[in-house]
Order: sequence, then C-alpha cells, then structure tokens
Amino acid sequence: MKDILRKTGKFLLHVLQGIGGFFKKLWKHKQGRVGLIIVAILAVCAIFAPLIAPYDPYDVTQRAEKGLSPSWQHLLGTSITTGQDIFSMLIYGARSSLSIGVITGITIAVLGSLLGIAAGYLGGWVDTIIMRIVDVLLVIPTLPLVIVMTNVLGTSYVVIVIVFAAFGWTGLARVIRSQVILIKNANYVKAAEIMGASRWYVMWRHILPAVSNLLIMSTALTSAGIMVAEAGLSFLGLGNPEAISWGKMLADAQSSGAMLFGHWWSILAPGVGIFLAVYSFMRIGLAMEEILNPRMRKGSNMLKVFKHLNNTYLDEVFASMDEGSKLSGEYISSGAAQPPASGEKDESAGS
Amino acid sequence: MKASYVIKRILLTIFIFFVVVTLCFFIPRIGVTDPASRYYPPQSATMTDEEYEIIKELTRKQYGLDGTTFEQYIRYMGQLFQGDLGTSYQSGSPSVIDCIAECLPWTLVLSVTNLLISLVIGVIIGTMAAWKRGRWQDKALLNASTFTTALPSFFIALLLSFYLGFEWEIFPAYTDQNMVSGFDWSWQAISTVMYNAALPIFSMAIGGIVSYGQSTRNSVIAVSGDEFILTAKAKGLSNNKVIYGHTLRNAMLPIVTQFGMNISGLIGGSVVIEKIFNWNGMGTLFLTANGNNDYPLMMGIMIFMSAFALVANLLTDFVYSLLDPRVTLGERR
Repeated sequence: MKDILRKTGKFLLHVLQGIGGFFKKLWKHKQGRVGLIIVAILAVCAIFAPLIAPYDPYDVTQRAEKGLSPSWQHLLGTSITTGQDIFSMLIYGARSSLSIGVITGITIAVLGSLLGIAAGYLGGWVDTIIMRIVDVLLVIPTLPLVIVMTNVLGTSYVVIVIVFAAFGWTGLARVIRSQVILIKNANYVKAAEIMGASRWYVMWRHILPAVSNLLIMSTALTSAGIMVAEAGLSFLGLGNPEAISWGKMLADAQSSGAMLFGHWWSILAPGVGIFLAVYSFMRIGLAMEEILNPRMRKGSNMLKVFKHLNNTYLDEVFASMDEGSKLSGEYISSGAAQPPASGEKDESAGS
Repeated sequence: MKASYVIKRILLTIFIFFVVVTLCFFIPRIGVTDPASRYYPPQSATMTDEEYEIIKELTRKQYGLDGTTFEQYIRYMGQLFQGDLGTSYQSGSPSVIDCIAECLPWTLVLSVTNLLISLVIGVIIGTMAAWKRGRWQDKALLNASTFTTALPSFFIALLLSFYLGFEWEIFPAYTDQNMVSGFDWSWQAISTVMYNAALPIFSMAIGGIVSYGQSTRNSVIAVSGDEFILTAKAKGLSNNKVIYGHTLRNAMLPIVTQFGMNISGLIGGSVVIEKIFNWNGMGTLFLTANGNNDYPLMMGIMIFMSAFALVANLLTDFVYSLLDPRVTLGERR
C-alpha cells in the first residue's frame, strides 16, 4: 500500500515537473509567451465571467433596449434580437469555446497517443486494425458526420465533445505511430527489450516519454482546430442551443440583419473572440514545435555562422546536437513525405 | 508502378467503401429501436390501438423501414449496387441521386474555382517567398498564414459579405435564386454565376492561397539545399531556369499531396460558406436534409462524399507513385 502511494506520488511529482519545465520553456520563447498571456487572459475571463461581465446575459431581467450602439453603458452595444449586452456575451462565450477546445484536445491526445503507440509499437494485426479504422474515418467528411451525430444524439456539450474526440484522433494517431516506429528501433529500446522488459513497461517508460513533447504540441494545435469547428457548428445553429457561444453570436448577428443596420461591432466582437482563442493556442503549439525542432529556430547564432554552407551540412550539425532532430531527419529522408505534426494543421484548417 | 500494388490499393478502397456504407446505414439507428418512430403521426383520440398499428405499419412501408434491421441492410446494399441511394423524405419524394445531381454542379463551381485559384496563386507566392527568404515578402506570407489559419473561413466570409456586399455593394451578399432556375449556357447566365460566386470563392480562396503558399515555400526551401541545385547554379544557369526548371519541379511532391487532399474535400468543404451566401449547393442540401430529419438524403450525401474522396485518394496515390517511385502501399500516409 505504502509502496503504491509512494510510486503514485513520485509519478505525480514527475508530471508536475514536466509541466513546469514546459511552461518555463514556453515563457522563454517570444511567440510562446504571447500565446500564454492571451490564453491566461481568456481563461480568467472564462472562469470569473460572472465577476467581470457587467451584465448577466442569461438573466432575462438584465436585458436592455434591443440593438443599441456601443456606449459607456454597453461597451459593445446590445444584440438586435434579445437586447443582451454583447460585451458580457463575449466574456461568457469564452467559457464554451475554451472548455470544449481544451477538454476535447486532451481527450484526443489520450485517445490518439494510446492508439498511435499501440499501432506503432505492437505492430501486426493491432496496427492493421487501427490503421484501417483511421482510413475509414479519414474518408468520411468530418463536418457532415458531426452534424449527423448531433442530429441523432442531441446537441449537449457532452455529445459534442464525444463526437469530436471519436472522429478527431486519427491525425494524431498517425503522427504518433510513425514517430513510435522510429523510436522502436533506437538502441535504448532494444536494450530494454533484450533485458526482458515487458511490452507495457517499454511503452510506458520509453515510448510515451519520447513522444510526450510531440503530444503536448499537437494538443495545443488540435484544441485550436476544435475551437474553430465548434464555432462553425454553433454558427450553423447545431451547437448547444442554451449556452452562449461565439459561433452562435455570429449566427444571431447575421440572421437578425446586423449587416443591414450596419452593426459591425456585433459581427466583429465574436469574431475577434474566436480569433484570439484559436490564435493563442496555435501560437503555443507552433512555439513548442520550434522549441522541439531546433532547425526551425530563427536567428540563432549557429544559423548565422553556417549561413553560407549548404543545408545538408547544417542538418548534420544540428542532428549531432540534438537527438530528437536526428530522429525527424531520418524520418524525412526515409521517404515518408510528411514531417511530424503537419497533418494536424491541415485538418484544423480544413474545417 | 506494379500491378500488385494497383490491385491491392483498389481492393483496400472497395473494403473501406463497404465499411463507410455500413457505418452510414447504422448511424441513424443509434439509440432508437424503431427508426420509423420519428415519422409516426400522433394518435388521435378517436383512433383505436389496432388502427394506429396499421397506420404505423403503413408509415414504415412508406419510408422503407419495414422488416428487421438486417433485412433493411441487405435491401439498402442491394439498391446501392444498382446505383440507387434510396428516396428522400422531401415532398414529392425525389430520389437521392436526383437531389445530389441537382446541387452538385453548383458546389463544384465554387470549390473547383477556389482550388485552382488557390493552387496557382499560392505556388507563385510561395516560390517568391522562398526566393526572398527572410525578407518582407517571406515575413508577410508567414504572418498572413498565422492570421488566416486562426480566422475561420466563415468569419472572413461574414466580413466580406458585410463590407463588399452590404456597405459598398460591389458584389451580391446573397445569391440570386433566379440564377439557378433560369440557367441556360448563355454568356449572360455564366457571367451572372461568376458575379454571384465571387464572394464565396474569394472568402474560401484567401485561406487556400496562403496555405499553398506556405507549403510551397517550405518545400522549395527544403529542395534548394540539395546538391543538384548547387550544380545548376554553378553551371551558370539563370535564376529563372534554376527556380522553374529545377527547384519547383522537385518541390512539387508535397504540393501534389495537398492538392489530392483538397480534391477529396471538394464536395464537403463548403457547407458553412454555402449557408452564409445562400448558395444552392451540396452543403445547403445537407443542412436542409438535417433540418427535415431526412436520413436517406443525409446518408446518401455522406456516402457520395466519401466515395468521391476515396476515388480522389486512389488517383492521388497512383499519380504520386508515378512521380515518386519509392512510394509503396500505405507508406505515404
């Protein structure tokens, strides 16, 4: 009993240290810091929405005259159909967007890493089955599929998260799988196997830590993609009808004729909200990519020194400097066309 | 390209299609024991239970939902192999194929034009950015790409329709529905279509141009480090010859991949844009079907989109393996 407690304690400490180190690295990266700050502001807005927002948009008694222009009473005016304060709605909207994005992103990270590692490390029929499922899910168009699922199962947040996670893990699983196949052949993994380590031990202690950075990076990017998709879904009127979300605010503004009346603020406000949320998560993801892959670092002194030499040589220099980049270098030259994680971006852009 | 590779690839495609159809058949049946129960008329006070049972039975027959689920499945598959996707529940009960055939060309007008514009302009901009690496052209492309990926295309579309459509009245913000019904192949009709399609195409193409530009840039930079480019430069070839004759040709492989992926999304990729501009395409058809709980139509559209994507993927793989003989089954993925 004591032993188990100590082990879990150690593990938790390890995880916390990892997270702390990750934030430290991000903070040092200029672009990453921008992302972190915006995410922090949005998170504060989401958590303390009732304290920050001047009005409660869910409260029917706190509605003002419909379609007011921006003033000191209503910073961004009021909505045309209901007379809710748009600034308050904007702050409350951060709740649904951020929570769905982050929760789905983490669920996808868990699903994708489990299935990706299983497919890559175990190989054989496990790999075949998982990759065939990926093939099937990649072919079916995502947005229509999600629409059908919400039609059948209802439009609560739980359903939306489950549907996005159930159909969104494929890209990540593929990236993780190809990374695992490279790590599988590394000497330290082979050594552990020869010494008699079980498959679970190898997967847990060697494979998972080796892909964890990639995992964090792609979680940030998938969260950004899910936020766009969620906004699109609620823009189509297929999100949670009771909650306030940025996509729904846009749809309301469009359908109530905000354009005819020239109420540009009621269109711009939720759009800026969506943009900030997606942008900040993308920034964090891309900053992570640059931290992980030193060849993408801009303006480093090494680059200036070797500026006149050709890139192949540069690759070798960096490869010897960093084990991780050596792996991805082999990956590219082995004929597999996509560098890790580029598939993620394509998918989020496609929705 | 080996024959065994081709056969393996085709068999895999057929298998995936079979699974997709099965999925599409069972999705509307999740959570309901009797899918026809959605369409039963309410039981009136004067109706006995036996009479109501008869009405239920008739409803099931009308919607083709009689018999056990397995029988329905076999019937559905049988129809599918005869090229019949069933009948829509809309008034007049048109066949699903007819509905799709009516809307498909309008979606293709948008998406094909968008794809071609994105590809051509994107490749040109990307090559320029790679050539001026680190200068303002490159930085502008990088900033544009972060902005357009973070801005959902439907928000860009809303802004465009607000400013270009309502405020400045340059392009129509809503599609003129007469354009669809009165379409004959006259020049005037075609120009009306292009005039109406300008805003939807433009709002989709902004993201496409930048994404093609970015991947072209990365690919060109990766290739321009290779030795044969150095040789070409050392031979004393002009800049233009090095770019278009050597670099761009070899940098095309990732672009082909991206192009193939976009082709598979040609039909299903413009749902939200079509809704904003009231465009009479597949997306609008799908959303209307969703509003009417018209499951045969929804499933038919999904199966059609998936089949289109499958064929596109298959062709892309073949083209790719012709361009790059190192590719074998599944390796590109």
